[in-house]
Amino acid sequence: MADEMIIRTKQGNLVDDIQTSPVDDYQRKFRLLLILIPSLILVMIALYLIWYFTSDRPLEHADIHEHFKYGSIGSEPGGSIFTPVGGVLPPYLVFKTLPAVCPDKLPGGYASLGLVYEPGHDLPIGISRRRRLGIDQVGLNCAVCHTGTVRASAGAQPTIVLGMPAHQLDLERFFEFVTACTLDDRLTADNVFMKAKEMGEPVSWMQRLIYKFVLIRRLKEQIVQGQNRTGPLFRDSMPRWGPGRVDTFNPYKAIQFNWNLNQLPHDELIGAADFPSLWNQKPREGMHLHWDGNNTSVDERNLSASLGAGVTPVTVDHPSLQRIHDWIWTLPPPKYPFPIDQQRVARGETIYNQHCAECHAFGGGKTGTVESLSQINTDPFRLNSYTYVFASTQAALYPESPYQFTHFAKTDGYARQPLDGIWARAPYLHNGSVPTLWDLLRDPQQRPTRFIRGYDVYDQKRAGFVYDTPESKSSGFLYDTAVPGNGNGGHLYGTKLSDDQKMDLIEYMKTL
Amino acid sequence: MDNGLIFQPLKFRNLTVKNRLFRSSISGRWDNYDGSGTQTRINWEESFARGGVGAIISSFVPVHIRGRILPNYAMIDSDDKIPFWRKVGEAVHRHDCKYILQLSHSGRQRDNPGVENFKEKALSSTSRSDTFHGLLCDAMTIPQIQDTIRHFANGARRAREAGLDGVELHASHGYLITQFLSSAINDRTDQYGGSLRNRSAFLLEIIQAIRKEVGNDFHLQAKLNAVDFGDALYPWEKKGNTLEEGIQVAKWAEEAGVDAIHVSIGNIFPHPLLPSGGFPPDELNWWYGTMISSGVRGYLNYTMFHFKILRPIFTFFWGRTKKDHPVEAVSSEYSKEIKKNVTVPIINTGGYQDASVIRRVIAEGYTDAVSIARPLIANRSLPQVFASGGDLPDKPCSFCNRCLVNAVANPLGCYDVRRFGGDHDAMVAEIMTVFRPSQFQVSAGD
Repeated sequence: MADEMIIRTKQGNLVDDIQTSPVDDYQRKFRLLLILIPSLILVMIALYLIWYFTSDRPLEHADIHEHFKYGSIGSEPGGSIFTPVGGVLPPYLVFKTLPAVCPDKLPGGYASLGLVYEPGHDLPIGISRRRRLGIDQVGLNCAVCHTGTVRASAGAQPTIVLGMPAHQLDLERFFEFVTACTLDDRLTADNVFMKAKEMGEPVSWMQRLIYKFVLIRRLKEQIVQGQNRTGPLFRDSMPRWGPGRVDTFNPYKAIQFNWNLNQLPHDELIGAADFPSLWNQKPREGMHLHWDGNNTSVDERNLSASLGAGVTPVTVDHPSLQRIHDWIWTLPPPKYPFPIDQQRVARGETIYNQHCAECHAFGGGKTGTVESLSQINTDPFRLNSYTYVFASTQAALYPESPYQFTHFAKTDGYARQPLDGIWARAPYLHNGSVPTLWDLLRDPQQRPTRFIRGYDVYDQKRAGFVYDTPESKSSGFLYDTAVPGNGNGGHLYGTKLSDDQKMDLIEYMKTL
Repeated sequence: MDNGLIFQPLKFRNLTVKNRLFRSSISGRWDNYDGSGTQTRINWEESFARGGVGAIISSFVPVHIRGRILPNYAMIDSDDKIPFWRKVGEAVHRHDCKYILQLSHSGRQRDNPGVENFKEKALSSTSRSDTFHGLLCDAMTIPQIQDTIRHFANGARRAREAGLDGVELHASHGYLITQFLSSAINDRTDQYGGSLRNRSAFLLEIIQAIRKEVGNDFHLQAKLNAVDFGDALYPWEKKGNTLEEGIQVAKWAEEAGVDAIHVSIGNIFPHPLLPSGGFPPDELNWWYGTMISSGVRGYLNYTMFHFKILRPIFTFFWGRTKKDHPVEAVSSEYSKEIKKNVTVPIINTGGYQDASVIRRVIAEGYTDAVSIARPLIANRSLPQVFASGGDLPDKPCSFCNRCLVNAVANPLGCYDVRRFGGDHDAMVAEIMTVFRPSQFQVSAGD
């Protein structure tokens, strides 16, 4: 004992604790509590904050139809709060209040762009909601481009058809509005809160802090970044997509691969094509999918399409996509909702089998294969926008994972697609350059060169959407086939049939 | 005014006191660390005797080292202390003043346990720490209780052998005997806990043991709480004994053989109601630090006293119930009720300084005598003021209780510098007179 004390004293340690009292013992425990309790509180606060900012909670929908319409596929921004990735839409509150913040930029709200609203839902079909990075985010899902509306007449209520190409949706204008209003000076946190309050949308204090001090500023930065990347696609000199169309791969090049689009050939940047239908995927497995047939895997095609909606390898929700996959695998095409002349159908079937089935019927010898551009001779821009370099770059996504792309390939033409539900897939050809089946069966020189797209009243005679009435002209988009990428030439099959034969064929095709 | 009533002798069974003025129990840290006495204590006690009080109740005199409240308090824990107490008695007797030794045991209420007690928790009826300072304790075992009763009896024997005039059992203010009596503190389940009778057993057995030791012809009085007011400081604490229970305890004490009841209130010390008056936070900031490690709430209390911004929190609690009671004669109403129920003489303490008040409480049957501590510290000659017909001295005690707060660290005296015209040196000089034997004292107090 004494030796020990001497040694410690030599070391200069003169403050040994050599005895304690009961009070010391008690206070030691108490001090421990004093440290433990605040530490515990801090840990709990930290855990709560970690949970708050890292929890990933999509709005769940048990019903597959609801899931398709409103469920998340992971297209909302995610990853780390410090370096969020993915997403093409602003957060929920901003998205919801944007039309109120910039009413001059979108007087009719999102519905005027062709987004479809249903009663009881505050978001349109195709917009999902998910809590990520501490806030409610919104994202695009499959339904935004694959839900169409049909009306029997101008006065009728629209029928919503799931899986149908969203021929009424002007996606380009939608992105333009979101970009312009987000960068507008009126888009401030306080303005968003005020508009949210007017809409009866509660905003928690935590959300207010996040919006006020971080989110709005970062959102504007992200939008500017996105604008810088994709800007060349939306220059005034570029053809407009118009309703029902999207340039699938060029934004992909900019957003997913950060390519400098200014360095690409001008014509490569023109690639808008129609939204396809989603139904009946099972028999399509192994066929050449996408308009140019660049992939033969339904799953890869699905995953690739989700990237266009804002999904990234980090944020993708594979289980959700799998639910969609399982549903569209056997989803039947919609039945033609108007009267059908069965006599014409019988006659038309014969004509169909004679002139169309080899390339377009399930089981046809060439169905699902690619017809070279030199043969089909339709507009080349969409084909040319998908390049060898891009195809090889796609293989770099999802590296070392089961989701790595292995089926993408450059083709030399357009795919011969099955025609199930073809009545609902108007306008026709890959770029939607021909408004009706009737017009498609006419010689290219006789096909309309300027017509209205995006009007959802159905033309039961010509099988397509009305494009030349005063009502359609006042509400649709004027499509001009003279614009690069909009050419309506090619696909001469059936053009030599008589008008009566064409009518029979069309009547039969309504039953597909 | 005619203060004749105050100067009528008071006759107890075994003792007659020349007037109705008792110096209540109070002390500074005058003695040696080991509890042996010093000349300073003799000086201190004699100064009150010279001032004219009829009897002096000694300081808190521990009957055992584990019952000490502060070091440097003379004890009566062994026979070798008898000669010192004889000296004290002789000095006091020279002024025709009686000396009653207060037999005490702190229980858990040890403001500073000292090195001898450093390693052990205090003894008490309970194992729950005290509610003010968080002083730790263990519930006494039956053998420990029996030993302690023995210590009290031995203390009484030593007092008698020292030629003192009587003993007082300190059974109030939260010390050990109160810790048994009070329903707010005693949580025992054996024969010393539960019913009032069981809780009183410790006191009554001490009285019986003392009587057995010293006989019935030696003055024995008990200082009892009329009411505990256990929730006066913190409202979440238990109230403790009621007036009815206080009366019953007094009656049992009388039956057991006490010759007088000294009535007080409060089951902790200090208590918001007693000593009467203030509780100055500036003094607490300076001196409470000496007992900061005595209990587990010391740091918390000190923090409250130290930071001015926090003081209102403590003073709110401390002053919460004071508004319902007078400063002067604070416990007189309860004393009156005790007096109605016992036949032995009553001494009442708490805020007595004004002769007009003292006359009234004696004349109207509130008490037979009063005991005074802090006003006598301020004015040793208070009895002479009364004797000459005055009601109050020129510079009366302000009941500021600065003496109380200083007592844990400094020589006891009046620390109200306002009474010295703001002259700190004069105040200190007056305090220091206690260190000089009476024949050398030139004091304003005499």
